[in-house]
Amino acid sequence: MGLTIKEIVLISLLSYVYSLDRHSTQIAGKITILYGALAGLILGNFKQGLEIGATLQLMSLGVANLGGASMPDYPMAAIISSTIAITSGKGMAAGMAIGLPVGMLGMNFDVLVKLINSAIAKRAQNFAHKRQFGKMTRTIPLATLIYPLESTIPVFIAIVFGKSVVQAILDFMPQWFTVGLNVAGGMLPAVGFAMLLVYMPLEKYGYWLIVGFVATAYLKIPVLGVALLGAAAAIHLYQSIANKKVSNQVSENNSNLTEEDMEDE
Amino acid sequence: MNNIKKLTKKDILKTAFRHFLGVTTFNYDTGIAPTIVWELFPVLRKIYSNDDDLVLSLDNHFRYYNCNPWLSPLITGATLAMEEKDGVKSIEAVQNLKTGLMGPLSGIGDTIIWVMLPTIFGAIAGSMGKNGNPLGMWLFLAVFLVCFFLRPYLYFVGYQTGTNLLSKLGQKLDAFTDAVSVLGIMVIGSIVSSTVNVQTGWTFQTGGVKISLQSILDQICPSLLPAILVFVLYYMLKKKVKMATLILAVIVLAMVGAVIGLFKA
Repeated sequence: MGLTIKEIVLISLLSYVYSLDRHSTQIAGKITILYGALAGLILGNFKQGLEIGATLQLMSLGVANLGGASMPDYPMAAIISSTIAITSGKGMAAGMAIGLPVGMLGMNFDVLVKLINSAIAKRAQNFAHKRQFGKMTRTIPLATLIYPLESTIPVFIAIVFGKSVVQAILDFMPQWFTVGLNVAGGMLPAVGFAMLLVYMPLEKYGYWLIVGFVATAYLKIPVLGVALLGAAAAIHLYQSIANKKVSNQVSENNSNLTEEDMEDE
Repeated sequence: MNNIKKLTKKDILKTAFRHFLGVTTFNYDTGIAPTIVWELFPVLRKIYSNDDDLVLSLDNHFRYYNCNPWLSPLITGATLAMEEKDGVKSIEAVQNLKTGLMGPLSGIGDTIIWVMLPTIFGAIAGSMGKNGNPLGMWLFLAVFLVCFFLRPYLYFVGYQTGTNLLSKLGQKLDAFTDAVSVLGIMVIGSIVSSTVNVQTGWTFQTGGVKISLQSILDQICPSLLPAILVFVLYYMLKKKVKMATLILAVIVLAMVGAVIGLFKA
């Protein structure tokens, strides 16, 4: 394909900036159309890039990335689709034929990046324990720098090697591997929640877990609704503990008084 | 215990900007905890002159926390006020408040930022862009840019709310800690059902009728498999199994499950 080295670098850089912003400053993470248009601008065909981005933007409506779940990466697909469409001259369909599968592939790499982040987090905490706070604060942003590679690497491979290589990689990866990564992505949040529970006073208040679970699993109440119920329970508990303390103090004071009174008598 | 070193406006603003590390640090052990540690470190250093106390506080913030980064400042702003006033005595309350509020605020934030705004402005930008008009795209970008510049101020809102809350609570921090732990536990019960995704792909043949095991499980109890997974992991963590081991075990389980068709994506 007729891409100059300068164009390859700029497009790769665009995908890096996209992913960096999407996960940190979060200004344009959902503006798929912008990335189609910017890729078009780099390659000298703003209008076609804009139209491809617009098409993918409309496809992505309503698809959100929530609670750490993995979702297709539409802006990444837009960058690749625009690039392929413009440089191959074969139009939107040819571009999206590569852009969309790679966008789907990107969501699987998400799981891998989050595993690398685990190692970085652990390292940072070890530095904290050793009182090496400078090293700790320098270690954490490594995650920020590494994270965008999940977009840059697939985009680079897709625009440099094109459809044949992408197809070969997709064919080479057995289906169970991609399904497995997906399943793992659904299961792994459980580890974090289990860890949270370890720190909560479950012996004392564990039964509220059932209330929260039933509310969402059976009654389909969204988390905000459950939190409002939880707030009601919390207010009730707070008042009863606070009142108990007050009445204990009052009764202590009373008994002190009576003892003193008796002594006086 | 009351600190002489008051946090200044500049400190809060600096923390708000450091929060832009966002979800780049997301990992399955601790969510975006590394981001929180990184953003809070300078102010925590100011609050805790003693290294041991600082490490206690940092270790607390290294625990699992995942919140929509747009609204997270409301929580960490408030907990910052708590730590500023009560130091290490407030750590349990800080942890409970973070756990209790992260789910509901994520629910609100994700809906507005990742679903509502992109759906409305994405539809406008997409339909205009398809006809080669970039105006909708610039509007989309402008809306998010405005939101971006307003975001740091949420930190002040959180901090002020936290300060007001504390002056009301007075000596009743223990009761408050217990009360918010109930809220947190209920929220975890809810998000286990809504966020963890485990589904079995197995089916049975009975009298020529295909019945999926998942539909039977759903009739017994929706989200049964996620609940079982979280409890098994919780039990293992209580037995002092390392988190890295559990993450690896979950991935192996997901892969093996995908190969034999036990789990589906």
